[in-house]
Amino acid sequence: MDTFEDDPTLSQLLNAEQLSRLHQCLSKLCREPVMLTEAHPGNDATAVEFNLDTVGWLSGGQGPQEREAAADLVSFLMLFIGKYRLAANLHHDTTEASYAELQRQNEALRESEARYRELSNQLQQKVDEQVGVIRQTQQELYESARMRSVGQLAAGVAHEINNPIGFISSNLRVARDYVKDIQAMLPDSAENRELATDFHDLLNESIEGTSRIAAIVTDLKTFSSIDQADYTRCNIRALLASAIHLVQTEYDHRLRITEQLHDMPEISGHPSRLSQTFFNLLDNAAQALGNSETRDNSRILVKALAQNDRIQITIQDNGCGIPDSHRPRVFDAFYTTRPVGSGTGLGLTVAQDTVRAHGGQLQLHSREGAGTRVLLTLPIS
Amino acid sequence: MPDFSPDNNKLTLKVVFYGPALSGKTTNLMQLHTLLNPERKGELMVLETRDDRTLFFDMLPLGLKGISGFDLRLKLYTVPGQVQHDSTRKAVLSRADGVVFVADSQLNQQDNNAIAFGNLEENLDKVGLDIDTLPMVVQFNKRDLPRVAGERELQDRWADTPWAPLIMASALKGEGVIQTFRSLLDRLYTRVDEEFRLAETHGINRQEFVDRLGRSSKSEVPHGYL
Repeated sequence: MDTFEDDPTLSQLLNAEQLSRLHQCLSKLCREPVMLTEAHPGNDATAVEFNLDTVGWLSGGQGPQEREAAADLVSFLMLFIGKYRLAANLHHDTTEASYAELQRQNEALRESEARYRELSNQLQQKVDEQVGVIRQTQQELYESARMRSVGQLAAGVAHEINNPIGFISSNLRVARDYVKDIQAMLPDSAENRELATDFHDLLNESIEGTSRIAAIVTDLKTFSSIDQADYTRCNIRALLASAIHLVQTEYDHRLRITEQLHDMPEISGHPSRLSQTFFNLLDNAAQALGNSETRDNSRILVKALAQNDRIQITIQDNGCGIPDSHRPRVFDAFYTTRPVGSGTGLGLTVAQDTVRAHGGQLQLHSREGAGTRVLLTLPIS
Repeated sequence: MPDFSPDNNKLTLKVVFYGPALSGKTTNLMQLHTLLNPERKGELMVLETRDDRTLFFDMLPLGLKGISGFDLRLKLYTVPGQVQHDSTRKAVLSRADGVVFVADSQLNQQDNNAIAFGNLEENLDKVGLDIDTLPMVVQFNKRDLPRVAGERELQDRWADTPWAPLIMASALKGEGVIQTFRSLLDRLYTRVDEEFRLAETHGINRQEFVDRLGRSSKSEVPHGYL
């Protein structure tokens, strides 16, 4: 290993040209020519020392004294040449060491810069994601605030309508009885009979109208009271069975409903709202079958089973389906395609809100003309 | 690490005078050049200086011959003490066999002593040497000046280190310089003898090693006081 402090040789201190010039100068000073060589020349020679090392041998000259003097002079010169050599070597060593250190630091700096750049990119990505989440949340917040005010309005309206519709309905029934009484008192003529029958039909239609209004009011109340929290243990199988029974009653038992209800553990939930949800979905399915409800192949499938830690409920029909253009809006409140007066547009909205409130999911798949499948997932715990 | 070349039976040892700026490292070396009368002594090389401050280093070669042509060399180096010459200090310190730490006794220089000592420890570590096992003596220089730290206090403070006792010196007046050097030679011998069997193989025992390299040219310094 070469270091700055290694003892130099003659050829390292002086090159051939410098050595020959030194020979000339010394030979001019001496009476006989002298010669400086690295190796001992074999004849009479005097050692030339540098730093206690013999770096060369001086031969020639007229005698030992002259050689001694010349060797002294050369040693003296060597001191300065050696000094320069040492300083230059040290400078070279330290410069190389410093450069290597700088390169190392530069490398480390570059690595850390790359690391920070990557970190910065990751941060940017996270910020972008968070901005997206905030935007989404803002939108949802806005929507839910709007829905809440609509809900409050609906609840107020429902409450106000509930009382008058109650006494209207009750009065109409009494009036119907009175019509019977009046008919009995009137003379039995064809004209009177027709009048009484017509009056009776008018009142019946009105009673039906009030019960429809009452149903809408119930829907509105369910919709607006979605945040109620009186949860109990619910038997999904029983709730589904009673919802099926209800919808069959509504459609005079003309629906063909296939039930595949397996045993399921009870879950914590709001039974009346779940019932309402099941009823809404079954009613939608029945509506989708429409006039074809008596067709041989029109069917509603209701399937429910426990899988892993969730309950899966499928309600499927092979009715008219939902056109692509309507699908994005089916969960919007008050969106309905039914004739005015026959739907509030709250069925699916209530269903979805209810399922979400139970920590579950509602998925809807539909193809126009082929049918609709609604998949409900409710967590067991 | 000692540099032994079997070809010419030559062992070269390196001693470095380390310490804060202006603590008197070059003065130590100049005094050794003047006061020492070892078996062999080369020229003192004072490399470049600016305003009397060392830029590269100073070097004094000493030597002695053992039996059967054994050639022992001791090269004494100083380092530049100024903070900015750290890379030069590191280059000179590499492969050192012994260190003389020259501290400044003046009260206002004690922080600089501590910084320089920390720098020594750090640089030794960087060149692969261990301060706890490297032969080293600590000299407190400039005892001739007023307002210096008391000797008792200094000795007490360093008592539990491997470098006790400290050596008090006034390099400018030539006092304590040879004592410092001989103390180092003694510690150096232990280490070198372990590896190269100086006494067994080359007929150089401890007393001879210290005397023949650390002999004073003044008769009043007693021979072999160690």
